[in-house]
Amino acid sequence: MKLLRLQGFPILQQLYLEERLLRATTHNWCLINQGTNPPAIIVGISGKPEKLLDVKAVLQDNIPVIRRFSGGGTVIVDTDTVFVTLICRRDAVTLPDLYPRPIMEWTEHLYLPAFQTVPSFHLLEHDYVLGDRKFGGNAQSIIKDRFLHHTSFLWDYQDFRMAYLKLPQRTPTYRLARSHSDFICRLKDYMPSREAFTDYIVKAFEQQFRLQEISLDEVEKTQPSSVPHITSTQVFTTADLQQSIMPLIVKG
Amino acid sequence: MYVGMRTTSRGMRSVIHELSIGLKRLTSLRPAFGDGFVHISGSYGGGGAVGGLLQSELLTTNSGGDRIISVSRFHAVASMPTTTTTTIIGAESRSSSLLLPAMAIPLADPSRLVQARFNSSSNEVLTADLGSRGGIVEIELAQTGEGIADCELIRWFVKEGDMVEEFDPVCEVQSDKASVSITSRYKGKVSNICFMPGDVVKVGETLLELIVNGSSNEQTPVPAAQQEEQWQEEASTLRRGVDPENASEEGVKKEILATPAVRHMAKNYGISLVDVVGTGKDGRIMKEDFMKHVAAKEAVREDLEPEGHIEELSTSVDGDEYSPIPPATDSGYFSGEDTIIPIRGFRRAMANAMTAAVKVPHFHYMEEMDVDALVELKNTLSTSIPLPPGVKLTYLPFLIKSLSAALLKHPIMNSTVNEDVTEIRVKASHNIGVAMATSFGLVVPNVKNVQRMSVLEIATELSRLIQLAGKNMLATEDISGGTITVSNFGAIGGKFGSPIINVPEVAIVAIGRMQQVPRLQGDGSFVNSSVMTVTWGADHRVIDGATVAHFCNEWKLLIEQPERLFLHLR
Repeated sequence: MKLLRLQGFPILQQLYLEERLLRATTHNWCLINQGTNPPAIIVGISGKPEKLLDVKAVLQDNIPVIRRFSGGGTVIVDTDTVFVTLICRRDAVTLPDLYPRPIMEWTEHLYLPAFQTVPSFHLLEHDYVLGDRKFGGNAQSIIKDRFLHHTSFLWDYQDFRMAYLKLPQRTPTYRLARSHSDFICRLKDYMPSREAFTDYIVKAFEQQFRLQEISLDEVEKTQPSSVPHITSTQVFTTADLQQSIMPLIVKG
Repeated sequence: MYVGMRTTSRGMRSVIHELSIGLKRLTSLRPAFGDGFVHISGSYGGGGAVGGLLQSELLTTNSGGDRIISVSRFHAVASMPTTTTTTIIGAESRSSSLLLPAMAIPLADPSRLVQARFNSSSNEVLTADLGSRGGIVEIELAQTGEGIADCELIRWFVKEGDMVEEFDPVCEVQSDKASVSITSRYKGKVSNICFMPGDVVKVGETLLELIVNGSSNEQTPVPAAQQEEQWQEEASTLRRGVDPENASEEGVKKEILATPAVRHMAKNYGISLVDVVGTGKDGRIMKEDFMKHVAAKEAVREDLEPEGHIEELSTSVDGDEYSPIPPATDSGYFSGEDTIIPIRGFRRAMANAMTAAVKVPHFHYMEEMDVDALVELKNTLSTSIPLPPGVKLTYLPFLIKSLSAALLKHPIMNSTVNEDVTEIRVKASHNIGVAMATSFGLVVPNVKNVQRMSVLEIATELSRLIQLAGKNMLATEDISGGTITVSNFGAIGGKFGSPIINVPEVAIVAIGRMQQVPRLQGDGSFVNSSVMTVTWGADHRVIDGATVAHFCNEWKLLIEQPERLFLHLR
């Protein structure tokens, strides 16, 4: 598995890269990106901004909204987020079928050694939690004989940024109508440093894969972006966002 | 590309019968498919239970010599009433393209492929003769995950009029937290798109229709003659791998190169290595070769663990940790007909293990134990100490630890005996197996080196094994190397058992239900006491009654007076 470590890489570029590595290459990949700039809101492939976000506030504060190519929910990411992505061939896992739930459970198994020092890490419904507090969501994209699983871990977060996200219509049962701040937690309260965290992750992955570190330049050279493939990642323009809330305004 | 079959039968039994005949004819055309399999897709009235029965029926009727069949996908269309006539749209090979042309020979009607759709409410038969309509096929939304009934359509990659190749992505759907690309199984032209982005599509519903070009002879994506050649090459390669090894019946074992582990597995499964193709050095049969052969022979895709000795049903003493899950085929669906359950996977492994155990002369020894102290200890500890998530502190970790402590005094109970009964190997590690009932069958993973583990560590490891067992994800390492087995059926019920040894171990203990009984005290009064019965099974070729009695006394002491475990603390 090729390991690509990034720092502060813009999330839009990261999503474009991930989609390319998933659809247009045949290797197994692991991407770890420590933080992103500028802050952005990422919705899932079927996400509708008007349902998930306080669009007016988002427009006012000029926060980019990106639709990613994988399923799942909405996140707001910034320099305090740690992204970990796995892109695998079917033969990299011993699962009979590439279905979302077994893949998620496989990742729990994979991540477990990384969280040995932290109490109560586990997968609860669709989220990674410590006890009953979420610190990482995850999403997947499954294509023929390959899949991608990516997570944004909350190393830290700013409360005011969470305010852009509405309470989603579908919430996990274990959330129990808690507010954002009672529902999530910061990984920095449990780990010595971000670098230590990413080291733990790499060590955990090394238990199942032989990791070969690669630089971004090498990736660009060996996996050129000229290979055509489906791109589902897109940025919502200001016009898109304004349009999305138009009917709501008209209805008053 | 695919073979069309139509059945006008009513009732699942008749449908299966017709399908089986058709499939047998298919396999007779090409006897050596290796690990290829027939993939059958279709729709039928009835829920998942019907689908499960249908699948297992097809597996049964097409196994035993025919190496090919595995029904990998069958969709329930819940809106159709049960046991109405059924549409089988096609059979295709998924595993390799070289197999396709061999099966692209229409069965029902040599000159054309026929697709029939049955209107379940009116019982009208609408047939679409592919010869005249140019062959319209439907691509339905396949299963994207267990228990997932529908998906949201996100977008189309094609539009009406576009040409698609086999395996081209046609659309994207969202399922759980995953976006999933749906690919076309056929080459053709998009004639009808049935859903719009944002629509919710149920599993089994038709997403789009394709016009598959030309007559049946041109269905295959690659010219049939070319594929035929490829297949012949593959088949002859397979045969080459086998022939040099296949000298004579007598000398077969010497002439076939295989690792000792593989020979042992073959013996356990009762399978001759003559037909197994080896891919190791000099044609050596490796473990993977053997497993592939077994899977193809028995049409099973799940991993058959080589030393998965299986014991009878067990659950935790509490009844809440390892809940017995009835086998999938006991679905409660009443058809008024006999049900045939194929013996495959874990069932097969259990049957093989028990057959091996029949050679062992067993004797059984029963004892009753007072568990008041254990109950109190467990209740105190399990509520007051923080446990890792998913870990429960039940009685079993205590019982296992005390068993290990007793084994230190009577190590012969923790042995294995070789096949010709010439030596007993007293094992240093206490790898204590725990029988578990899962929806896949019975499995006995073991906790390694209990002599080095604390009760808490045992509980954690047990939780890990239970979780993996429930998902059929136990590793070979987890279910091999056991030295003694615990079978805890008490939570289901029952006091006494006559457990069968997990060969080549020499002892097994079955733990019955805990119950409250009145006990007569010295002063003539009665007190409520919790008791538990255990039944030992032992190999009387190497263990005698006195040994078991002494050992059980030691274990009983540690269970009734758990504070004695203190004496063993280091």
